[in-house]
Amino acid sequence: MLLDVADLNVTVGLPAGRVAVLRDISFTVEPGRILGLVGESGAGKSMIGRVVAGLLPPAFRATARRFSFHGQELLDLSPTRKRALLGDRIAFIPQEPLSALNPVRTVGSQFEEHLARLGVPRGQRRARTAQALGEVRLARPERLLDLYPFQLSGGMCQRVLIAMAFSSDPALVVADEPTTALDVTTQAHIVSLIRKLQEAHNTGVLFITHDLRLAAHLCDEILVLYAGDAVERGPAKAVFGEPRHPYTRALKQATPSLTGPRRRLEALPDVMPGIEALGAMPGCRFASRCPIADPQCARAFAPLAEVGENHWVRGTRLCTSGATGTVSREALPRVQPQAADGTVLRLDRVAKIYGGRRSLWRKRFPVTAVQGASFSIASGEAVGVVGESGCGKSTLARLIMGLEAPSSGSIELGGIDMTLPSPFWRRRIQLAQMIFQDPASALNPRRRVGNLVTQSLETKGRTAGHVERRQRALALLRDTGLPEGLLPRFPAQLSGGQRQRVNIARALCAEPRLLIADEIVSGLDVSVQAQILNLLQRLRREHGVALVFISHDLSVVRYLCERVLVMHDGKIVETGPTEEVFSAPTHPYTRALLAAVPPDDIARPWPSDRDRETIS
Amino acid sequence: MVGSGFGIIYRRLLIAVPTILVVSVLIFVVLRLLPADPLAMSMPPNATQQEMAEMRHEMGLDRTIPAQYAIWLGRIVRGDFGRSIQFRSSVSDLILTALPTTLELVVTGLALGIFLGLGCGLLMFSWRGTLKEQVADVGSIVVMSIPEFLWAILLILGFGVAFRLLPFIGRMDAQITVPRATGFLLVDTLLSGDIGAFGSALEHLALPALSLALAITPLIMRVLRSSLFDTYVDEYITLARLRGLSERHILLFHALKNAALPTVSLIGVQAGFMFGGTLLVEVIFTLPGIGNLMVQALHNQDLPLIQGIAFVYCVIVLVINTVVEVAYLGLNPRLART
Amino acid sequence: MIGPGATLRRCLGEPRVQAGGALMIVLLLVAVFAPILAPHDPGDQDLLRTLAPPVWTFGGDWSYPLGTDSLGRDVLSRLIFGARVAMRVALFAALGAAALGSALALIAGYYGGWADWIIGRAVDVWMSFPPVILSLILMVGFGAGLNNVIVAIIIVDWTRFCRVVRSEVMTVTKRDYIPAARLAGFTHMQVILKEIVPAVTPLLLTLVSIEMGIAVVVEAILSFVGLSVEPDVAAWGVMIADARQSMYEAPWSLVAPVFAIFVSVLAANLLGDGLRRSVDPRLAQRLVVVR
Repeated sequence: MLLDVADLNVTVGLPAGRVAVLRDISFTVEPGRILGLVGESGAGKSMIGRVVAGLLPPAFRATARRFSFHGQELLDLSPTRKRALLGDRIAFIPQEPLSALNPVRTVGSQFEEHLARLGVPRGQRRARTAQALGEVRLARPERLLDLYPFQLSGGMCQRVLIAMAFSSDPALVVADEPTTALDVTTQAHIVSLIRKLQEAHNTGVLFITHDLRLAAHLCDEILVLYAGDAVERGPAKAVFGEPRHPYTRALKQATPSLTGPRRRLEALPDVMPGIEALGAMPGCRFASRCPIADPQCARAFAPLAEVGENHWVRGTRLCTSGATGTVSREALPRVQPQAADGTVLRLDRVAKIYGGRRSLWRKRFPVTAVQGASFSIASGEAVGVVGESGCGKSTLARLIMGLEAPSSGSIELGGIDMTLPSPFWRRRIQLAQMIFQDPASALNPRRRVGNLVTQSLETKGRTAGHVERRQRALALLRDTGLPEGLLPRFPAQLSGGQRQRVNIARALCAEPRLLIADEIVSGLDVSVQAQILNLLQRLRREHGVALVFISHDLSVVRYLCERVLVMHDGKIVETGPTEEVFSAPTHPYTRALLAAVPPDDIARPWPSDRDRETIS
Repeated sequence: MVGSGFGIIYRRLLIAVPTILVVSVLIFVVLRLLPADPLAMSMPPNATQQEMAEMRHEMGLDRTIPAQYAIWLGRIVRGDFGRSIQFRSSVSDLILTALPTTLELVVTGLALGIFLGLGCGLLMFSWRGTLKEQVADVGSIVVMSIPEFLWAILLILGFGVAFRLLPFIGRMDAQITVPRATGFLLVDTLLSGDIGAFGSALEHLALPALSLALAITPLIMRVLRSSLFDTYVDEYITLARLRGLSERHILLFHALKNAALPTVSLIGVQAGFMFGGTLLVEVIFTLPGIGNLMVQALHNQDLPLIQGIAFVYCVIVLVINTVVEVAYLGLNPRLART
Repeated sequence: MIGPGATLRRCLGEPRVQAGGALMIVLLLVAVFAPILAPHDPGDQDLLRTLAPPVWTFGGDWSYPLGTDSLGRDVLSRLIFGARVAMRVALFAALGAAALGSALALIAGYYGGWADWIIGRAVDVWMSFPPVILSLILMVGFGAGLNNVIVAIIIVDWTRFCRVVRSEVMTVTKRDYIPAARLAGFTHMQVILKEIVPAVTPLLLTLVSIEMGIAVVVEAILSFVGLSVEPDVAAWGVMIADARQSMYEAPWSLVAPVFAIFVSVLAANLLGDGLRRSVDPRLAQRLVVVR
């Protein structure tokens, strides 16, 4: 047994008292096996990684009945001995590859530094580095040695970090959300790479992720975490195929599927409790959102019960009995676009080219962000735009919104040609509004919610009275499912999901006919994402507003949009009704994109073993 | 890397030329268009009408302003800065005689200040989270609140008057003479093999250099500490720990290189300011540098001398800025490759 | 605790703000009430009592608490009236440089393009002058007078504000709530005034505090050299220049103005540092993470 953890507890000292952020966590990692730690943000999965590393933040304390690595108790180990293990016997793969390397030192120098730490003699270091980089399928590794991290793509950087992690032939690798920051196709390559190396070195892997489906494909065993509790543990296929704990079920039901019938997303109400709230929850922490909870659940902390072969669920008899409560997965009703109202948006051969100016001593090469984009959107229709980072979808959004001017081509909003100069700005912002991706950046932290959502009433000539603004703000909050009490709050006091709703409410204030949503659910937890998606569906029905929905997540687009545009390298490579494009793609890029998504059917092998060489 | 280095220097020089031109225009204009009579400023009070007419013609005051500027600029390019009114000798000669004193002072003060600043900065960083750090923090603010000319006075009062440990007038004991080779006393005394003179020069340089140094030490200390803090929050530091590298190794090989960037930038800016600081320090310690010369020129409204010294100051600052920028680009590869 | 009210409370609770702020207020009060506080007229010469020692040494008395200078003028009174000069310069020069520097920084940072380029080049050129030299030259040209000093310092120091505020403006402009405000129908001017200015105000206040200290020092340098106020006006730099001549006989008349300048700059620095600490959210994070 590689890593044997029994009853791990991590507590933090808060002003109100000590709170357990991890409770009675038990699991084992065997050599050559992958254990997935699955949970939403704040569930405590990263915390477990930190306990292994011995790098807990100051006020946190970890205790366990057993926390041993190769039979050695890790928690009592002296810092020096622990440091000797890190990077050598226990290796880490981080979440953000581009920030994980020192930006002012070359990749080669940092890799050689790592090898030096491992005790590799000086003369062999460069060769070993090149060899390790070759093992992760990086083309021309010698050239990479002299490059700086910012000159590499995210995927390449992650490969370097994986090479570093496996270069010591470690017994255990802890991978903390290693693919979250990467594109879908890159993710598939990285996952396949990790599996390949893990098999070759017979390493045990602790794979931390928020993606249940991904874990089901990659891992041998899964541990599901909720608010610091281990709620379900068992073989990956079993946990995903037949989840027994209500939370795992809810997690699975809140994830939109790419194939199969379109079902309604069951979104759990509220959010996962934060650290401050945990102190008041002696029993099951999921009880307040659980569809089948009874009063006893919240009072007593239930033990793990075996429900299948090596399959454990924490809960009362009610949970383990497999009752599903009122959840039924009915088919999703389609939102009918009102074709009668005509075309809301029409693009004709729109292109956007940046740069290309020659300055005195530097030639700047023009960058084509968007090329030859032509499509139209009917009133009330939802069109998805998918593609990987750099494909031009964000630029397209900005062009439609008018934040950038197209280099050529025409854009018509509500029948009016928008490429003529500024008098049409006012018309434009009445017709179309944009919902920005990051609500932390899109909401002025100094304004209150009531002020923010009615911002469009603040401008010259339309300074509405205080009363009118308040009424409008309340209506908008109701519309987006936010409680009235949030009116005087500041954005920093809201959760991620609430902020995104405020963002949406603000866009609705101007009563536009077209909403442009640029990756608005990307940073959100699965359950919150489901809430937002259902909200958008409702808003479309109630307001008849058309939607341009940009996302890298194909399943979300499939859930929401009737039509889809697939973009690659600035061009629209394929377009059509969503179901058709996703079930029978014609363009090779679309096929590659679809193949890279972990399939809903866990019996299908993924990722495919064809691992493209990365061209640097 | 070398290739791009030259490219950067070349680019910077290219920018520097129009900057010098604009600077020269400003100096010229400021002193000409302001409500002060350049002619009166350039002539001794008992000049005759004839002399004034001659001077007016020589200065080109009977021509248009742009023409005057062109004449002045043309002369400067040839190294002719005109003649000082009070000293009746060539401005460029006066400047060249006085410049080594100032340069010697600035270099010593800068070196001392950087050494102390970096040392204290690292020390303070190693004390992080302790009470000692808080005390050092407040202490640095106190030291920072004393500008260099006040340090000069305090040091004189302390080491010169109260304790009589160090001299504070001039560059050397009046009795000693040393043949002038470079003008840099520390170098000249060594060249002539006169160790006693070297010691005296060093003694006389101590308090002035210390005054300058104490003015920048707290600034360097604080910026180093603050940029180290900023660096330590970055992801790659955490990952370096996860790779099993020791705290010492992380500090020396990762954090410092990143923290060096804002520190170098600050040192560059302060080096430029220090030249302004030498002005009063030279006056207070009676050192014959260009600062002292400038003050005399200002008092006597010696226009050609003022212009000349101002021009030299600007060129020096431009050189420093260029050097700093090149160093900065060398440390930060990202900027070099855009 | 969040919001503008909370930030204000945090600022006022920070010990450095309290210390620096209190000192500043004391200095300002001394400056304002100088005629009432000073025992003598600062220009009054008593040639029979030159270089009198301060009250706590042998030969001193309470009529001249800090002694007299080489012309028999009361050092304490000159010190108090010197505060007038220093505080007037500090306040107006700092505010003026802030206004000019920030206005240009807002234009450069928000609009970018050639406006940014021109202002950037202007700042570069300006910063090629050592500030002391430039202010001296300007004073030679302007002639003596307190208002001239204020104008000279504004002309010299606006670049300090411009550079720092510009980068802050650019950071803020990159955040999505700026285009969001445009989408809400705000004109460019409304965006600048309602969204960007409040965001840079905390930084601006910090810079203004520190600039006040700088202004006091520059004025002292100018008056030391004799290029600041008119000869009959008491200023700390003038006091230092005078007292230097008689340094051995009357060290206290040298120490007093030095101390006064030090206290003023200390107040400014403490206030500025305290404001920076209470407003910068990253500092709070730092104290937790590092060990």
